[in-house]
Amino acid sequence: MAKYILQRIIYMFITLFIIATVSFFLMKLLPGSPFAMEGKLSEEQLELMKARYGLDQPIPVQYFNYITNVAQGDLGVSFQFDNREVSTLIMKKLGPSLQLGALALGFGMVVGMLLGIAAAIKHNTFIDYGSTFLAVIGKSIPSFVFAGMLQYYIAVKLGWLPAAFWEGPRYMILPTIALAMFPIATAARFMRTEMLEVLGSDFITTARAKGLNSVLVTFKHGLRNAVIPLITVVGPLAVALMTGNLVIENIFAIPGLGEQFVKSITTNDYPMIMGTTLFFSFLFIFIVLVVDILYGIIDPRIRLAGGKD
Amino acid sequence: MANEEHKYNKDRFEPIEISEEKGEELSRPQLSYLQDSWIRLKKNKGAIIGLLILLFIGFMAIFGPYMNNYTFKEQDSNITNVPPRVQGLENISWLGLDGKETEVLEGESVEALKEKALYVFETEPEFIESKVIQEATEDEMAKVEFTNDIYAARGIQDEYYWFGTDQLGRDLWTRTWSGTRISLYIAILAATIDMVIGVIYGGVSAYYGGRVDNYMQRIVEILVGIPNLVVVILMILVLEPGILSITIALTITGWIGMARVIRGNVLKLKNQEFVLASRTLGSSDSRILMKHLVPNVTGLIIINTMFTIPGAIFFEAFLSFIGLGLQPPLASLGTLIDDAFKSFQIYPYMLVFPSVIISLIMVAFNVLADGLRDALDPKMRE
Amino acid sequence: MRNTKWSLLLVLGLVLTMFLAACSGGGSEDEGSGNEGDGENTEETDEGSEGEGDSGDDASGASNETLRLTEGSEIPSMDASKVQTSTGIQFVTAVQEGLYRLAPGGEIVDGVAKKSETEVSEDGLTWTFHLRDNATWANGDKVTAGDFVYAWQRAINPDTGSVYGPYLMKGNLKNATAIANGEMEPSELGVEAKDEQTLVVNLETPVPYFDSFAAFPTFYPLHKEFVEEQGENYALEADTILSNGPFKMESWDHGSSWKLVKNEDYWDASNVDLGAIDVRVVKERATSVNLYQTGKVDKAGLGGDFIDKYKTDSDYKELQETVLFYLKFNQDSATQGEKMQNESFRRAIAQGFNKEDYVNVVVGNSSIPANYFIPTGLDKHPETDEGFRDINGEMLKFDLEKAQEHWSKAKEELGFEEVELSFLSGDTESAKLTSEFFKNQLEKNLPGLTIKLKQVPFKERVRIENASEYELTFSGWGPDYADAMTFLDLWVTGGPNNDMGYSNEEYDKLINQARTDLATKPVERFEAMLEAEKVLLDDAAIAPVYQRVRSVLQKPYVKNMDQLNPFGNDYSYKFVEIEK
Repeated sequence: MAKYILQRIIYMFITLFIIATVSFFLMKLLPGSPFAMEGKLSEEQLELMKARYGLDQPIPVQYFNYITNVAQGDLGVSFQFDNREVSTLIMKKLGPSLQLGALALGFGMVVGMLLGIAAAIKHNTFIDYGSTFLAVIGKSIPSFVFAGMLQYYIAVKLGWLPAAFWEGPRYMILPTIALAMFPIATAARFMRTEMLEVLGSDFITTARAKGLNSVLVTFKHGLRNAVIPLITVVGPLAVALMTGNLVIENIFAIPGLGEQFVKSITTNDYPMIMGTTLFFSFLFIFIVLVVDILYGIIDPRIRLAGGKD
Repeated sequence: MANEEHKYNKDRFEPIEISEEKGEELSRPQLSYLQDSWIRLKKNKGAIIGLLILLFIGFMAIFGPYMNNYTFKEQDSNITNVPPRVQGLENISWLGLDGKETEVLEGESVEALKEKALYVFETEPEFIESKVIQEATEDEMAKVEFTNDIYAARGIQDEYYWFGTDQLGRDLWTRTWSGTRISLYIAILAATIDMVIGVIYGGVSAYYGGRVDNYMQRIVEILVGIPNLVVVILMILVLEPGILSITIALTITGWIGMARVIRGNVLKLKNQEFVLASRTLGSSDSRILMKHLVPNVTGLIIINTMFTIPGAIFFEAFLSFIGLGLQPPLASLGTLIDDAFKSFQIYPYMLVFPSVIISLIMVAFNVLADGLRDALDPKMRE
Repeated sequence: MRNTKWSLLLVLGLVLTMFLAACSGGGSEDEGSGNEGDGENTEETDEGSEGEGDSGDDASGASNETLRLTEGSEIPSMDASKVQTSTGIQFVTAVQEGLYRLAPGGEIVDGVAKKSETEVSEDGLTWTFHLRDNATWANGDKVTAGDFVYAWQRAINPDTGSVYGPYLMKGNLKNATAIANGEMEPSELGVEAKDEQTLVVNLETPVPYFDSFAAFPTFYPLHKEFVEEQGENYALEADTILSNGPFKMESWDHGSSWKLVKNEDYWDASNVDLGAIDVRVVKERATSVNLYQTGKVDKAGLGGDFIDKYKTDSDYKELQETVLFYLKFNQDSATQGEKMQNESFRRAIAQGFNKEDYVNVVVGNSSIPANYFIPTGLDKHPETDEGFRDINGEMLKFDLEKAQEHWSKAKEELGFEEVELSFLSGDTESAKLTSEFFKNQLEKNLPGLTIKLKQVPFKERVRIENASEYELTFSGWGPDYADAMTFLDLWVTGGPNNDMGYSNEEYDKLINQARTDLATKPVERFEAMLEAEKVLLDDAAIAPVYQRVRSVLQKPYVKNMDQLNPFGNDYSYKFVEIEK
């Protein structure tokens, strides 16, 4: 196992290196320069500015410099934020995104799993259809619509909760619910399907025949069975939720990562694009590794290390 | 006690005639796999309703835009933001399909409010009805509910915009249904990409495992890692916006979620006994994959497709927004919802219709797919 | 047994999540700021407000209330030399003070220098400013002429990387061009401190509107020792800025909020009413309206359909801007260049769309359909005070008949029946409606015309415009100083912003004269500019669309904030009052 993990970590660096390389060259193909108000800069000035940031050198040289710096742990400074360190910028905005993502994930998983279990136990009844309906709505209506409605009806019309900002538990409720719609739907659907599978299987019949409490049995076995697809989806979902959601952050005026990343791309803030890309990729790859390891723990029959034979 | 019951009376039994022919006779009608599935599907009411809804929406997407005399791109600055009005339903005010707008105003006196209402609605006295909720008293403001007949006020009493009109005065009925066409195409496209690329990629990666799995998964990680927005903006530079560009953009990463889920479950299944049995019997890899492993993950494929479709529909809206998708005045359900969201506080009807349709499509699709899965699953056979 | 562990784990995870959220919820995050400002393509700006009002007693009779605002973007830097976004300019002018400052409505008034004492030489090339002796930095040091010299030299120095420094100084201040191009030392710049309180500015050419510059952040003083001590960090945090203006920056939580408090050491502190300004970053317009509705902010910008909803609200206000939107005709277009160079062709398009409809349908407030190029309220006759706009009247009005006449004529002259033109626009919300509107209008009114919409991200749009790969584009321009020249010099032949290939000798001559020979003769200069506008629109070089009016909701107790300055900072917080 240790050898396998070590091997995967080596692969992780190789993968990150490839991502960095491809992203770097693609990014350099984007139109425009990182300087705002290009219209007001003369040719000479633009050249001087580029020289100042080393952008006048051939792209392979810039690439080499960048990779060398990253290898030494230096992600560079941002253009759009007036030379502030990229790593500081990311860490500062990570907080709210992380909190919101974790809350939405936690809340969404619990509600979703309960919905899914209820639907499976009461298969083809109103509870089942109702749960399916809820889950589907949660997925088909985009979360920003929920966010906008919650803000308008709950905060403005009813005045129950604050309309925006990120300043304490009361401020977290609306954004969490809005963002949780997706994890609710995910958990509910996967749970239901896997539970149904379990309910039809021989060991449940056996367990029931032996007189075991059926609810408990289905819950335990169902959960176990549903875990594989769930963690497959939930791992990356967690990364997606916690690295920020542009629209929800904007609607609730939460200073998070999502908005910052999009902005860095539209303003050609090269170091910021690269820094965020590497950070997100690292998280994703790391979570995937964790998920792969979990497979083996949950179901010892799964052997990743070896091939098919 | 028990012994008593085991005493049978021989007279009550009658030996049946044994004949060669009857031994081969089937007590139930002979059915093929599909026929059998269809029978079971028919019994599932939810699935049938889902099927009917999908057929209906498909029908409307094809013929809906031709059901009135408006086009999806014709603008008229006189009839902007007109609420829906439907023949026959216009007298049932709570339905909101009467082409009127209602607002409660508060103020010093009822008279003053009547003045204000004309200004608020930009209308003439003959088109406005008022209902006094509360007269002005010493400590309470007057409250009056006004109802303005927009169709009359704009001089379009004879027109019926079933879904209302948008900011530019375009008929939303035709826009919505022609948008449904595009979104259905996107849905089918996304589902196909998922099922073809996603399932095969995930299945192969897990089934062969080891080095193959390792490389294939690293490729997935790279695809996820490269920022999508950068790729999309670069595509704008080289591609003409339109359906083709949307298709390409979707194909790049649209299948990854599916591939990962399938891989996870095939990893679980591939070492189970039935796979081993099949292999021992000499089945080829592709046969094991397609006949044994994939059918066992149908449920997951369905769920995942359901997650992909709305994602794809809104991805298309995003592409259109930044200039790679549909070029205006073309619309899709995704772009209609995006646009309407900005004004949902003021013109909620613009958001309601496309949202309801997209939800209906998804609910119907899900119920039907669940039904299909049950129907196709031999284990569920009675 | 194992299953119990799983559920336990789940519960634990949840508790942990809640805990994590609850503990860290209180603090907001620090962050740098996004800048997007671009004078050239002004899209939507929204404004809002936030904070809370706690009043205190003050001997001077000031309310000491807090003005609560929202801003649509963060401030990248509070460095006066580098600041370039409208939000940045807004708050640098509150925290610092230049020679002059703007009063509400745009009147240029005394700042560190007394306006009435300023001397301009006969030839208009030398300006001498006299600084007041009671202006101090927040650390107690006096604001001296040397601080201005240092700041200006810093702004023009290519190593600083200022955009506005070179943009405003080049060609105006002596040696600025050579310094900006790195060919001369910054110390050669035409500005000197004659003594502590006398600043002498040497110009290359007379700049009649130099007092506008004197009120603009790029020309603000900087405390040399402080700036050098802070080095790279100067003006990046609340405590790395040294104030000499009516307010001080108390806190700056990057990406989410900042707070200014009254600077008691400011020379005119007794005339500053506000005790503090609390600003929150809110990017979504609907959100700032919702915050306004829940009483969390004192002002919110409105756009699109929200204008419809609140137009009749008692808190609704409309503020006239000096931003003009127009269609650019690209005469350098590779594919349709020949047609775009035809005057009848351009005229047909310029008069072939209904501007009133555009304003009603797309903008929604009382923005002015524009039949002119120099916005109302920007410039006036130097002697009679009559507005530029009132004198020159209207040109290129919407006239369907005339447009179609010109169209037929163009078809004849150029020999075409059908033509396809591309219409370039950005990827903002209003850009989409705008391009759909124009496609419909022009195709309907000019038979045989097909408009191909090209909606692209901002940077790509800039690239396409620079590369001349378009035919029509919807653009806007806001002034950099209070003079018609800020608009007119856009279209001189070969000008840096003239990316539409327009060239007219007469126009170039008029502008050149206004800049040189006539620069010291205000009346003749003004007349030359009037003439230039006529030439431009007679050529139908551009098609004016509308002059923007900003719609806001604003609490009635906020006073002196119902006018926008025509250039520079939108509002003058020094003079804003709260009367509750």
